[in-house]
Amino acid sequence: MSRARRLPEPTRPLPPAAPAGNGAHPTLTLVQGNEACARGALAAGCRFFAGYPISPSSEIAELMARELPGCGGVFLQMEDEMASLGAVLGASLGGARAMTATSGPGFSLMQEHLGYASLAEIPCVVVDVMRGGPSTGLPTLPAQGDVMQAQWGSHGDRAAVVLAPGGVAEMLELTRVAFELAERLRTPVVVLADEVIAHMREGMRLPDASQAPPPPRPGPAQPPGPAFAPYRPNAAGVAELPAFGRGYRFHVTGLMHDERGRPTSDPVVAAALLDRLERKVAPAVDLVPADTYRLADARVVLVAYGITARIARAAVDALRDQGVPAGLWRPRLLWPVPEQAMAQALAGAELVVVAEMNRGQWAREVDRVLGPGVPSAPCLKAGGSVITAEELTQHVLGARARTVAP
Amino acid sequence: MSWRVDVRLAGSGGQGLALAATVLAEGALVAGHTVTVVQNYGPEARGGSSRSDLALSDVPIANPECPFPDLWLVLHQRAWDRFVTPAVAAGRGTLLVDGDRVQTGRAGPGVIALPFEAVARDELGAKVVANMLAVGALGCLLDRVPLATLRAAAGRRSPAAFARLNEEAVERGWAMMTGARDGARGRMSHAGRA
Repeated sequence: MSRARRLPEPTRPLPPAAPAGNGAHPTLTLVQGNEACARGALAAGCRFFAGYPISPSSEIAELMARELPGCGGVFLQMEDEMASLGAVLGASLGGARAMTATSGPGFSLMQEHLGYASLAEIPCVVVDVMRGGPSTGLPTLPAQGDVMQAQWGSHGDRAAVVLAPGGVAEMLELTRVAFELAERLRTPVVVLADEVIAHMREGMRLPDASQAPPPPRPGPAQPPGPAFAPYRPNAAGVAELPAFGRGYRFHVTGLMHDERGRPTSDPVVAAALLDRLERKVAPAVDLVPADTYRLADARVVLVAYGITARIARAAVDALRDQGVPAGLWRPRLLWPVPEQAMAQALAGAELVVVAEMNRGQWAREVDRVLGPGVPSAPCLKAGGSVITAEELTQHVLGARARTVAP
Repeated sequence: MSWRVDVRLAGSGGQGLALAATVLAEGALVAGHTVTVVQNYGPEARGGSSRSDLALSDVPIANPECPFPDLWLVLHQRAWDRFVTPAVAAGRGTLLVDGDRVQTGRAGPGVIALPFEAVARDELGAKVVANMLAVGALGCLLDRVPLATLRAAAGRRSPAAFARLNEEAVERGWAMMTGARDGARGRMSHAGRA
């Protein structure tokens, strides 16, 4: 390069962590959800971020912009969200662990590239901090309305992997897990958070910042050369991705392709590819188990994720206080739907109440898995405010009076 | 027996209510409590209404929302009009307000009115530190975080140029509340001005 690359200004240090406390938990730091997400990405070895800041996800971009240049990474503010994910995919093909973060309107724009990443098997992490929609909707208010979009927003039968963090510590943990899944399954992974969790602050234990990030992508076992088949699956159904520039030559396309990456319109090859792409993400179900609360002897089971699950815990306690044997099943993986685990956890429930801040997007999945034999009464609220514990409690009591024989 | 205290801080965007909640939360965390803060704000950078819910406990907090606060801080009439429910106006929860900015229509021992903005402007020379005066007053009222811990949290969470001033403001706000309390022991009139 003839012209030296202009590096950004020296970075401002992170907001200082709270000093060791003198109380019950001396090693906790007050952290915001979005900050935890960015720290989780950095700890997972993310060294490339391209994005277009948007409420309520902006703090993720802000922190990555501050941190990445100082640790050998790259931060790019792009002209829009389409370009953002495009840049992320390019960086990933070049060998970087890469991510972007956005909210509903930007997530809509990313759907094209998300489908491309699925078919071309490019690992990356996309964080969607949900706000009220459709369209620009409610920029600063919470919602959970992107659940279906995260699975079906892109055209075609895409095998999606979508995680739903339920707190600040889990914003960090599930972002790490998202990178691990993306790399292991060679696929885009979505972290689907909501405005409340993203902007919530609570105490958490931060990972040791001096810890070395995970080693770079190992690359395929096959040597480079004319026989190299970039989309030939290993035993787990995953094709191992080489980084560009390491001697491997291959073709990346959004067209259906064979194991060599050559476009094909052979329906047999295409159907087998779609099958494999779905099969290969199935292990995510076991890798990200659901969380439960007072579920063991519960007859009334609440199902909720994100901030709604935090509120549902309070509702479970309130219901128990009133003699209702309530419990909570909290999925941390929304797609692929953990059908077996759900059926097991909810077996024997006399009433299932899915609570979510939308008009029934995941509730329909629960109904589909459980079938008509289990009474279901979703508690739904869209429009920019959370379902309160009191509303949820009253909803359950009303539904129980209607459906459960005394 | 575990305890939980819910605090709701409400004001106009730009008054620094979100920072006030963060400082209180960090102080409480360092003091060994469990805390959560969630916020509610509009798309405006300034001028809209802003609200933060702060929950403190000695056990993990499941639900961070505080629809029935034990303690309110209200620094702007618009926030009072928008967020304060009839139940609160009628006497549920202790109210701490800037008496020059908020007309509550409620009087009695549950209402504490202190002139945060006036003291910030006239004594500390910067209207913007009214939020840190309120942090000090709230900290004193909560009685669960040592003043030194709260003061240090304010310093850490402030932009460098404001750290010293904000620390001072926390201390001054704490003293304002002590004074109001001492006054209130003699006669309630001082605390019931709003």
